[in-house]
Amino acid sequence: MPYRSERIVITATGVISSLGAGRDEHVQKLRLAQPELRYPLILQTNHAHDFLLGEVAATNAELAARLPFLDKQARITRTALLSLCAFQDLLAQIDLNFLRSFGGRLSLVNASTVGGMSEVENIYHELIDLNYEGADTEWIELLDCAESTEQLATSFQLKPAMATISTACSSSANAILVAARRLRTGMADIAIAGGGDALSRFTLNGFHSLKNMDPAACRPFDGQRNGLNLGEGAAYLVLEREQDALRRGARIEAVLSGWCNANDAYHPTAPSPDGAGALRTMQSALNHAGLTASDIGYINAHGTATINNDAAEGKAINTLWGGRPPKFSSTKAFTGHTLAAAGALEALFSIWAMQEGFAPANLNWSVPMEECPVQPVLQTEPLQARHVMSNSFGFGGNNVSLVFSRA
Amino acid sequence: MSQQPLYVYAATAISPQHSFRAAELMQPLVHFAEGKLHAQDASYSDYISPVAIRRMSRIMKMTISAAMECLSQAGVKAPDAIITGTGSGGVLDMEQVVKDLRRFDEGSLNPTAFIQSTYNSPNGWIAMQTHATCYNQTFVHRGCSFELALLDAQGLLAESRRGLRLLVGCYDELSDEYTLIRGRRGYWKVNPPDSLALLQHADTAGTIAGEGVNFFVFGSEPEQALACVAAIRLLHHADAASVADAVREILSGAGLAPSDLGLIMLGLNGDVRQSHLYNDLLTAWPQSIPVVSFKPLCGEYETASGFGLWLGIQVLNGWTIPQELQVRGVVPTDLGGSNVLVVNHFIQGEVSILLLRGKAESCR
Repeated sequence: MPYRSERIVITATGVISSLGAGRDEHVQKLRLAQPELRYPLILQTNHAHDFLLGEVAATNAELAARLPFLDKQARITRTALLSLCAFQDLLAQIDLNFLRSFGGRLSLVNASTVGGMSEVENIYHELIDLNYEGADTEWIELLDCAESTEQLATSFQLKPAMATISTACSSSANAILVAARRLRTGMADIAIAGGGDALSRFTLNGFHSLKNMDPAACRPFDGQRNGLNLGEGAAYLVLEREQDALRRGARIEAVLSGWCNANDAYHPTAPSPDGAGALRTMQSALNHAGLTASDIGYINAHGTATINNDAAEGKAINTLWGGRPPKFSSTKAFTGHTLAAAGALEALFSIWAMQEGFAPANLNWSVPMEECPVQPVLQTEPLQARHVMSNSFGFGGNNVSLVFSRA
Repeated sequence: MSQQPLYVYAATAISPQHSFRAAELMQPLVHFAEGKLHAQDASYSDYISPVAIRRMSRIMKMTISAAMECLSQAGVKAPDAIITGTGSGGVLDMEQVVKDLRRFDEGSLNPTAFIQSTYNSPNGWIAMQTHATCYNQTFVHRGCSFELALLDAQGLLAESRRGLRLLVGCYDELSDEYTLIRGRRGYWKVNPPDSLALLQHADTAGTIAGEGVNFFVFGSEPEQALACVAAIRLLHHADAASVADAVREILSGAGLAPSDLGLIMLGLNGDVRQSHLYNDLLTAWPQSIPVVSFKPLCGEYETASGFGLWLGIQVLNGWTIPQELQVRGVVPTDLGGSNVLVVNHFIQGEVSILLLRGKAESCR
């Protein structure tokens, strides 16, 4: 199996989050510093008035209405609906028949943390109770993380080599680097990578049980930060080898110039407090890209606004850039933490920051952290960057840093 | 295109059989009457500290133990990558969380169950215990989750310097509720036979449920290897024709004729509705090649192909196949240095084909 260190480029993007659908709505709200967090109207939960969430402002029926090709009778989860919407957005930039022509030489590397939990949690008690004779057991097949992957392939009549990754909050960042490796080893000739997750009571109460949720809008890297806001969404990127993209005259959005997946090997849910894991990941991604720290013009930080993450990530950034970090911000206060979508979503934010020439604000920051007094971008700032970094750090110490460069 | 060989230096199994540190490997064979093949518990405390083990789920204990033993057998302290596949992950913990949400009306929730239900939890723990700060990946895609881990391992070895030692594995656990719901979907035989007699009951719908954990240490040098995974092929939504084509491609790609195979190991699971996937192998191929199925030993689950690979490696290293697994032909007692084809399917339509070579150097 030959491995060629060819440049991997991004040639199309698709996105949906609480900020809206598509690039323009996202860029506009990021630039104007307009977050979209609300008390949930769609997620049915007792905590509807307890926590602000980045909920996509469309019911399942409204999402389905944007997808006219869907079989109206088919069982479909909110996770899959979000993924389909983001994927459809991506198809505005690349021809579906062109993608179909690759058959199994197209790799679809998707990510999800809880699959169709948002629906299955409502009916699980029926599924396990034999007295519920009419229980619709087909739903159990949709609990699977691969459900949205399979749904993307089926709905858009693609026959790709499929893979689904689940590494908590870094899932779709991992999907991107797995797709890139598949291109470099020749296992694929074109790839679509990303992820999607819908809000569920499962994740909401799960994070709540870890005392990780801020009832108000989250405050990344702030001294008074108090936990995260959850969100939902989906984001996908088309990846190609640069020579292939150039040959077909594709518009190149950015170059994926380096990446690293490394593990904290420290604690099941908390990062190493000195930031050693985050530091190692960012440094290795830079090495992989053949760049030095000073080449990076902007970092889209993981910045969940949990006590542990931000202290560790802040220290790592401070160390790697010798106390003079580049412009950096967490955009989690705009969208909430979209879990399996976050890696791909924030990869797009990083690319757009570089393209559009602005660093989005790190909202709700007022006082420095005691542990590490780094100061993020406080309001939208002009940016001239040739290279940007996007961090995604997850449970299980699963860290990913991606480096994107101008085309 | 030639594939990156995965040389196997160690392989472990916690399975329904006596497969883990057994005095005599899989002796006696364990059989199950109720259609649920539960794994034999290992001495988990040999691998996990007393403090950690107290609140740990069984699948976490199984996974960590199988992984640590595998590393130890390969003489590896910290691996250079940890890559796993799982179909359902910590499904018992996930069920617990879902039920608690309803029972306590979104009141108090046990954070341990939530954390352990996260699919990459075992990976994180293995990394922590081995201080492995390396690449760490978890694939969750139905019946091809383990194969995706294998493909990722191929890619990682292809891009890396030589001398790497990758820890690659799979894990799935059997839960009563999982079996119940899947049963309502028609997965299982209504009147399950004795598990070791599964292949004599291949004329009815349904199979029997199983569970297990497998780990492997892979690298790119033939020295000291137990065997070599020379080629991997994965099919989504396969049919008999696509399986037949893929098997032919994989053999011709390796420069082998059907007669070069010492054994074909199938994932035949006793379900009459799915056995057509193996039709070509069973009818069009030389009848002189012996065919066996590994499912009577492990039952059916998303990552059963991990057990199939593990068993193939045992066969190439002197384990004698019992007659309960025979589908066709007489299995030679000595398959050392031979080639073994492992073909598996899962109920949802995934099929995988692994070409195993006993003479590891022939992979090059």
